[in-house]
Amino acid sequence: MESTKRKIREILAVRLKLSAAVAKLGDDTPLFGPDGLGLDSIDALELVLGLQKEFGVVIEDRAQAVKVLATIDSIAEFVRSMGKG
Amino acid sequence: MAAPPRVVLVTGGGRGIGRAISLAFAEPGSAVVVNYRHDGASAEATVAEARQRGADGFSFRADVADFGSVQAMVGEAIARYAKIDVLVNNAGGSRDGYLALMSPDDWDAVIDVNLKGVFHCCRAVARHMMAERRGTIVNVSSLSGMTGLPGQTNYSAAKGGVNAFTRSLAQEMARFGVRVNAVAPGLVESDVVSAMPAEQRERLLSNVPLGRAGKAEEVASVVRFLASDEASYITGEVIKVTGGI
Repeated sequence: MESTKRKIREILAVRLKLSAAVAKLGDDTPLFGPDGLGLDSIDALELVLGLQKEFGVVIEDRAQAVKVLATIDSIAEFVRSMGKG
Repeated sequence: MAAPPRVVLVTGGGRGIGRAISLAFAEPGSAVVVNYRHDGASAEATVAEARQRGADGFSFRADVADFGSVQAMVGEAIARYAKIDVLVNNAGGSRDGYLALMSPDDWDAVIDVNLKGVFHCCRAVARHMMAERRGTIVNVSSLSGMTGLPGQTNYSAAKGGVNAFTRSLAQEMARFGVRVNAVAPGLVESDVVSAMPAEQRERLLSNVPLGRAGKAEEVASVVRFLASDEASYITGEVIKVTGGI
């Protein structure tokens, strides 16, 4: 699980060019919206592609993306549930 | 080891303009996936001709109006070649008739194939292209979608939708290195045009400044150009191929 989370942080840092912000980010900090990292929908698209490439997991649509991409914890849990973590 | 082929998926690629497009990409180092819905023999003949020209490829039956079968087709292409470099959305069809007599079925069928089909195919390949940071999509639209044509409210609405879709998707995909364009053919030599009564044919041709119907190959060459690196700074465009109309 920890290595999965480390890889997720790496995706955020490299693909979204957010290394400074990611260093201060908690595993349960919201990635989207004003109370968290403040990612937008284009960032979400990058994240979906990054997760697909890194772990081979596919997020099908917007509804699933909203659920899965909430926090680093929720992404790691999704990757684990798909047997890829 | 040989370089991986340039993979081109052409929907409705077995006949007419679609066949010309499939063959325009058929050369050594390319693989052409020829989609068809009904006419498997024509699709297979097109693949055979593509092979003669040194390309790899296969035909695949899928109704573009059905997302599941589009996903299966794209899945097969990815399984064989690991990528799709070019998607040409050519599949289409018309059910012409004046609106006052048009059944909702005729409306839906034309929108489903010509507009929803484009969404389905783009949706199915978008992620693969975005992940590769490379790819081009060319939609085959129609002059009817720009100027309108009596008897074609369904078809012109669908093709007008494809033009707007092309511009929007181009803006979405640009940052991922994927270009999206369209061609809008006018009067092109086809079985339908050849079968017209001479008088009707003459009347239609009199509106074409170049004075003749286009050839399918003349549309295909523009599609090929838009898909090539020669067009690397063109995205979100709808290019008329109409002989001057």
